[in-house]
Formats: sequence, C-alpha cells, structure tokens
Amino acid sequence: MPKWGMVIDLDRCTACQACTVACMVENNVPFVGKEAAEEGRLIQWQRVLVRTDGEYPRTTTRFIPRPCMHCEDPPCVQVCPVDATFKRSDGIVDVDYDRCIGCRYCMVACPYGVRTFNWFKPEFNDAHRNYLNPDVRVRPRGVVEKCTFCVQRIDMAVQEGQRIGEPDGVVTACTQTCPAHAIHFGDLDDPESEVSRLSQDKRAFRFMEEMGTRPQVYYLAEG
Amino acid sequence: MQLTGRREFQPLTTFGPVYILAVVAALAVVGVALFIWVDRQLQSGLGVTGMNQPTYWGAYIVNFVFFVGLSAGGIIVSSLVHALKMERYRAVARIAEVVAIACILMAGIFISLDVGRPDRLWHLMVYGRWQSPLIWDVIIINAYLVMALALGYFSTRADIIKCMRAMPSRAWLYRLLALGYVDDSPEAIRRDQAILRVLAWVSIPAAVFLHSITAWIMGLTKATPGWHTALLAPVFVGSALASGLALVTFVSFASQRLFRAQVNDETVAALGRLILIAIPLLGYFLFSELLTVVYAQEVSPHAFFTELIEGDYAIFFWFDLLVGLVTPMLMLGYIFFWPRRAEAPAPVTRPVVGRAITVTLAAAALAFAVLSFSVERSPEQASVSVQDFSLSGTTLAIVLSALAAVFFVSLAPRLSAAGGVALASALVVAGVLAERINIVLAPQFTRFSPHPDELFALPYTVAGYHPTSEELSIIVGVYALGILGFLLFAKVFPLTDLPEEPLAAARDRPPLWEEPGPPDRD
Repeated sequence: MPKWGMVIDLDRCTACQACTVACMVENNVPFVGKEAAEEGRLIQWQRVLVRTDGEYPRTTTRFIPRPCMHCEDPPCVQVCPVDATFKRSDGIVDVDYDRCIGCRYCMVACPYGVRTFNWFKPEFNDAHRNYLNPDVRVRPRGVVEKCTFCVQRIDMAVQEGQRIGEPDGVVTACTQTCPAHAIHFGDLDDPESEVSRLSQDKRAFRFMEEMGTRPQVYYLAEG
Repeated sequence: MQLTGRREFQPLTTFGPVYILAVVAALAVVGVALFIWVDRQLQSGLGVTGMNQPTYWGAYIVNFVFFVGLSAGGIIVSSLVHALKMERYRAVARIAEVVAIACILMAGIFISLDVGRPDRLWHLMVYGRWQSPLIWDVIIINAYLVMALALGYFSTRADIIKCMRAMPSRAWLYRLLALGYVDDSPEAIRRDQAILRVLAWVSIPAAVFLHSITAWIMGLTKATPGWHTALLAPVFVGSALASGLALVTFVSFASQRLFRAQVNDETVAALGRLILIAIPLLGYFLFSELLTVVYAQEVSPHAFFTELIEGDYAIFFWFDLLVGLVTPMLMLGYIFFWPRRAEAPAPVTRPVVGRAITVTLAAAALAFAVLSFSVERSPEQASVSVQDFSLSGTTLAIVLSALAAVFFVSLAPRLSAAGGVALASALVVAGVLAERINIVLAPQFTRFSPHPDELFALPYTVAGYHPTSEELSIIVGVYALGILGFLLFAKVFPLTDLPEEPLAAARDRPPLWEEPGPPDRD
C-alpha cells in the first residue's frame, strides 16, 4: 500500500501563500472574514506560519507551510469518540463530516494545531460559488475539517489508473501550485520516489519528533 | 392520618413570599437563557461563544468539569452516612444526594451545550469508540447518574411514604415518586437499608472514577503540556472532594436558615472539619505539580505556569490560592483550634463587617506603603502619588486577592462556628471554580508559545479567549435551573430524614391496601 507523504523545502518557500489559496479553491474552504480570522477562527487547511526569533538586527525569520501531518500514529484518531476521523490504509487521515459531532476532542489532541472548526455555517458569496469544486463536499456547521492531501484527487486517480506523485502524476493542489517547487508529494514507501529520497536527506526533520506521532510531512531545514 | 400540623411537614406546604419570588426569579433567568440559547447558539452556531484557536474548549467545559467535581464530592457525604455509618452527618445526607444529582445533571447540560452538532449526540451511543476517553466519560456519567438516583430513591422511600400519608392531596405524586412501591413494613425498610448500604459503598469508587475519567480526557493527550501530567487526576479528585463537601456544607447551612431544615450547627461544623482535611490534600497535589515544573524549568509546561502566575490568568491563580485555599484554611483553623471566648459570637451586623473593612483598608494602606518602595521616582519627588504606580496585572491580582483574604479572615472571629464554616465553604467553591478556569483554559492558551530554545515548535498567533455575553447568559441560566430544581425539591421532600416511628406503632398500623382504620388519635 502506498504511504502518501510530503516534503517541504523551507529554503525554497517564499511565503507567497499560493499553496494556501490553491488549497482553499480546490477544497471549498470558506473565507471566515477578517474579523473572525483575527479572533482566532481562521480556516486554512494549508497554512504558512511565520516565525521570527531573536532581537533586531539579529533576527531569523522562517516561513513554514503547514498542512496536516497525516501522522502514522495520529493522536486525533485515537481520541475521536465516534470514529469520525480515521486513518486510511494509504496513510491519509480523513474526516467523515456526517459522523462528526463537533466535540473538538481531535483538535485538542492534535499537537500541531492543524484542525479547524466551522464555528458558523460556512458562507460563500456569489463569485466564490461560481468556482466551488464539485468533487469536494462543502462542510456543514459544527464539524471539524482539515487538510486531506486532496483525497478526492487521489481517489479519482486510483479509480482511473493514473500515476500519483511527482514528477508527472497527480499531486495535491498545493504541490501543483507552488511556484518555487518547495512542496513535494508522493509515496514515502516507494524507494524510487522523490519524497522518499528527500525524506532521508541530511536536512530533513519533522516537527515535534519527540511526541512520537511520526508525521508523514518532512521538512528540509534551511541550510 | 393528617400530619400536616407536624413541624416536619410545614416547610413542605407553606409557600412564603420570598420563596415565590425566588422561584419566579429563577424561572425568569432560565427563560431568558433558554431564549438566548435557541435564538443565538442553535440558530447561528458555536461561533456565538468566545471559543477560537487554540482555546477550543471554553467556559462550557470549565463548568462541566466544575459540576462533575461538585457532584462527585457531594455524594461522598451521603456515602459517609450510609456506608461508613457516620451518624453525625445523617441530617445532611439527603441534601448531599440531591446536590449530587442536580450537579451531575447540570454537567450533562453543559457538555451538550458544548458540542457543535447537538443533533448528533446519539452518535455517542451508536458509534462510540471504546478507545476514546470521552466515551469512558459518557459511560461513567450515565452509570453514576443511575447509581445516584437509586441511592436517592432507596434512602428517601420511607419518607416519601410518610409524606404520602400526611398529605393526601399530594398522594398521587408521592406514589409516583416511590415508583408504586409503597410497602413500608419493617422488612421492606430493612431491604431498602441493605440495598442502600451496597449502593453507598459502590458510590465511593464511582465518584473517584467519575472525576478521574473526566481528568483523563485532558490528561491523556500529550499535545497540551499543562494537561499531560500524571497528577491531573489526583488534582481533580482533590478539587472534587473539597468543592463537593463545601457545596453540601453551604447548601445545608442555607437550607437551615431559609427552609428551616432540621440541620444542627454541629453538623455544619462537623462538615467543616472534613473540609479542613480536604483543602490541604488538594493543596498538596497542586504544590507537587507546581514544584515539579518550576524546579525543572522544562520549557513547555513552564510557559503554562508562567501564564498562571504572571500572565492573563494570574487573577484566577492568586484568587484560588489566597481566597480559595489559604483563607478557608485559616478560617476553619481558627474556628476549630483557637480557644474561643465563652460569649456567644455576634451575628454579622454592621459593626462586624465594618471592623473587617477597617482591617482590610489598613492592610491596603500597608500594601501601598510597601509597594511605593518599588516605584521609580526622581530624587526631587517628595511623595508618591497613585499615578506613579504602574501595577502589573500580577501585582494587582496578588494585592486584590490578599486584601480579599484579609477581609474574610477578619470576619471569622465574629461569626458563629456554623456561619464561619459556611462562609469558608463558599470561598472554597469559588476558589475551585477559579482553579477549573486555570486548568482548562490556560494550558490551551499557552501550548503554542514557542520558546527560542524550542527549535521545532509551531508559532501560531494566539487570540485571547473572552467568553461572550451569550455564553455567560446561558451558563447563568443553567445555574438558575439548578437552583430552581433545589427550590422545588425542598417543597416536595423533607430535606432531612423524618423521625423514625417506633417499630411497635408501625406494626399496629393497617397496611395501605386495606380500608383506613379508626380515626387517628393525634
């Protein structure tokens, strides 16, 4: 079985956030509005975090595109009371929006904070409604959502027998869009894939390794 | 037998103006809260609360945890009477049971308020996963509720039958409450007592598990450093014990004063001795946690404790420590260990409160004088004015809490033993609520604060958590619902056990299913 994973090269990321936008278009992620975003209710599946350390003039700023880590040992799946989030055999951690009761236990259990909640009914203005993706459900109010590694693209590709993963197969929207080719997507279990090779690079690391969640998203440190 | 003239039944049938006012007020508050819930939260969603990232669990969960603790602690008093046969608490056993049942029901309401899809709560029953601590909590809360109701039933049945006889106009109600089982022969009563003893023994581990499982919901997640500690379950059980005992004490004292329940001052004072043991136990667990984190300076949990002691949640921490733990200890210690003068203590009159205020103001002046040494001023400045102070939130929190502590402690010598215990109990309950706020909210708030040493932490900008007015109104409405329930209970059941009839008289009375005997000779 494949184990879908990602490698994100922090040296190449320019924080343009094209990945964020592409993801929102592909997955019908709602705009919550400026006010709600400032109140901490932003919904972005792929999100670029900015971290500045140090005092001026000796500062270091890092841009960290952060999708769901699709951990091998996901704490969110472990705690869900109703089996609304589950790990598929191909490694993707998916959410069943019809089963979710909105208890937010998975959000509390995720060490990486990747999960978001629909505090209100997601709204789309007329223009946005025109470019909603018919392959992806619009979530109802009161359920949790997060990055799914564009599972609709993967399932469609499997169904139609297409290749998945770099260099020329079906990839996630963020991988496809990144102008700097900072995001790599593919099968971590395939020894000949790009992601498999990069995940063993000497610059490769994973966030909060000590948690033991074994995320399937690797990062290449600035070198 | 017409026993309505008897002293024990009078509180059940008289409805004074203050009582009516209280019921109407409680109903009004519940009505407003219900309207706000339906019109705002059900209509728009959980967004009407203040919850956000990363404070996914807010005031509803704080209150859920608080009331589960109150319930678990409250049932302990009942089990002391029925299992451990400590007769000195018998007068408050029923109050403890009703408080425990009301609190667990309120906890159930709070958790239902908190889910994003209340229409899907049945999923917990049908699709529940055994591996989830939340499902363990669903199981234990339901099991505990059934056990508490059974405990209440078997301990009250004899009195329900007495009420049924004494108030024929309400006989239908009492027959219903007794579930039709109205046999009060000595054998039936003995059977009741046997079942009650088993239930009371079961209730002790049930209460401990109830609040431990609630703690494990948070304690077993490694994502939040402030929660992921082995001590969380002991802290919760300790808080439950202290707050549950304190609430039962306060409600007993209030019932005595307001409903003329047959609770002696000695019983209230005896409960106070139990609280005097519970507070240091809780303090020990909290101190162990604090020492472990502060001494080792481990980065992530340290951020949480810094937030508690010096940050936005400082007021709750210092209030809990000084007013919720230290003050009741001092008050209770004074009541039980200081040699008292022979004179009867004065009621809480204006001179008594005035004296407490004077002492507090004196303490405030002293604090002002001490703090003025830390104020920066130029050499030419002769005196310090209020504008020179830029008190940090922490200093203000400590000073205000200390002044409140001084105020309450200086009230203590002038209160009766029971009054002092009741006041100390109220402070313990308030302190435990502040502690719940700290334990549930602050760790979430601080878990994404990367320290420069933590190279691989994710830097989220954290928006603060502020409960909205809708949230607070709904919470107050649930409190009012609990109070309303207790008010109604006080008019249906006698709050203390009715005095036992001698067995001889019971044997001579014809059984209920026969025609009534000769007119009573009372």
